Amino acid sequence: MDETRIIAWIDGELSSEEAAEVEAAVAADPGLAALADRHRRIRARFAAAFTPLLDDPVPLPKRKPARIVSLAAVREERAQAAPKPAPRWRSWAWPGAVAASLLVGVLVEHHNGPAGVSDRVGALALSAPIAQSLDRQASGELGTVNVALSFKDQGGQFCRSFVAQTIGGVACKAAGGWQLRYAAPVDAQHGDYRMAGGDPASAKVVATMIAGDPLDAAGERKAIAAGWR
Amino acid sequence: MDEFETALAASLPRLRRFAHGLARDPADADDLTQQTAERALKARDQWQPGTSLAAWTYRIMRNLWIDTGRSRQRRDAVLAPEEAGATIGAAGEAESRAELHFLMRAMDRLPDEQREAVALVMIEGLAYAEAAALLEVPIGTLTSRLVRGRQALAAMLGE
Repeated sequence: MDETRIIAWIDGELSSEEAAEVEAAVAADPGLAALADRHRRIRARFAAAFTPLLDDPVPLPKRKPARIVSLAAVREERAQAAPKPAPRWRSWAWPGAVAASLLVGVLVEHHNGPAGVSDRVGALALSAPIAQSLDRQASGELGTVNVALSFKDQGGQFCRSFVAQTIGGVACKAAGGWQLRYAAPVDAQHGDYRMAGGDPASAKVVATMIAGDPLDAAGERKAIAAGWR
Repeated sequence: MDEFETALAASLPRLRRFAHGLARDPADADDLTQQTAERALKARDQWQPGTSLAAWTYRIMRNLWIDTGRSRQRRDAVLAPEEAGATIGAAGEAESRAELHFLMRAMDRLPDEQREAVALVMIEGLAYAEAAALLEVPIGTLTSRLVRGRQALAAMLGE
């Protein structure tokens, strides 16, 4: 009768015949009984210390800032589910591809479930308060919506990056109003982006869309006066 | 939360307990738990529905722990007497926390392969066959690591 077998007995790993054998041997030998007791005590001691951990609530981790993908890239990935040779960012950093595709941030907030984005025309139109700020507010002016910068995209449309209460992103002025080109949830812990002029993900998107330089203050005043047309 | 997230969330308390069996202190254990959950969420497509989510996540945690622990310095195999006496005089919740700490430090003195075997079987209550499959070792190897680990603990704990 060795220690391995005694430990296996304590761990409940033996068949009933084997267990009966060990039990008989332990009953007949005080040395074996002491050994069995010792391992039983250790097991009980660990159980007493570690089992209460199960009562503590453990939250799922918060998802990191939204991934940037283009709808076209998602469709393509789904269609051919093959790994791409180039790093992921290349597919959206390529200016031509980006100009042609609609950039959205995939909103993945765990506790609310994934947000749906519809494919309908106008589905990405912005709400009135954000649209009004985009219409009237100068970049850097603080408000509930903070516009970071204005620029013309490669299609010649005026676009502005902004940070609102719960989302931030890039919108461009189209015939029907301001259309969202990219959006990501605003992380409350990173509220300082509101001051710093846009979050890094939006800035990357802007870099792929922009034609020339951002508008300066004078250019922006002119665009505001002309209704961004 | 979808089905996967619900199942993952339900397995987190046990994962966290396993982390306490592996990590050197409770703060590291909580970090390891969060990292494991993040990794599981990211790799959720690799989990095959119908297989054990618990075993899959235990494996993720164990691999993360191995990866981050290669540089870990092994400490003395014997607890200093003042550590062994750390729980004396404490009371209530503080006492049980001190006991948990103390047992974690004892575990920390085991070689990695003994520690993971002990954590899976003695703390998590896995069957030998389950633990051996998870660690991808023959059951005899698992058993001998487990026994050596338990013997070392018995010596350290003054049993």
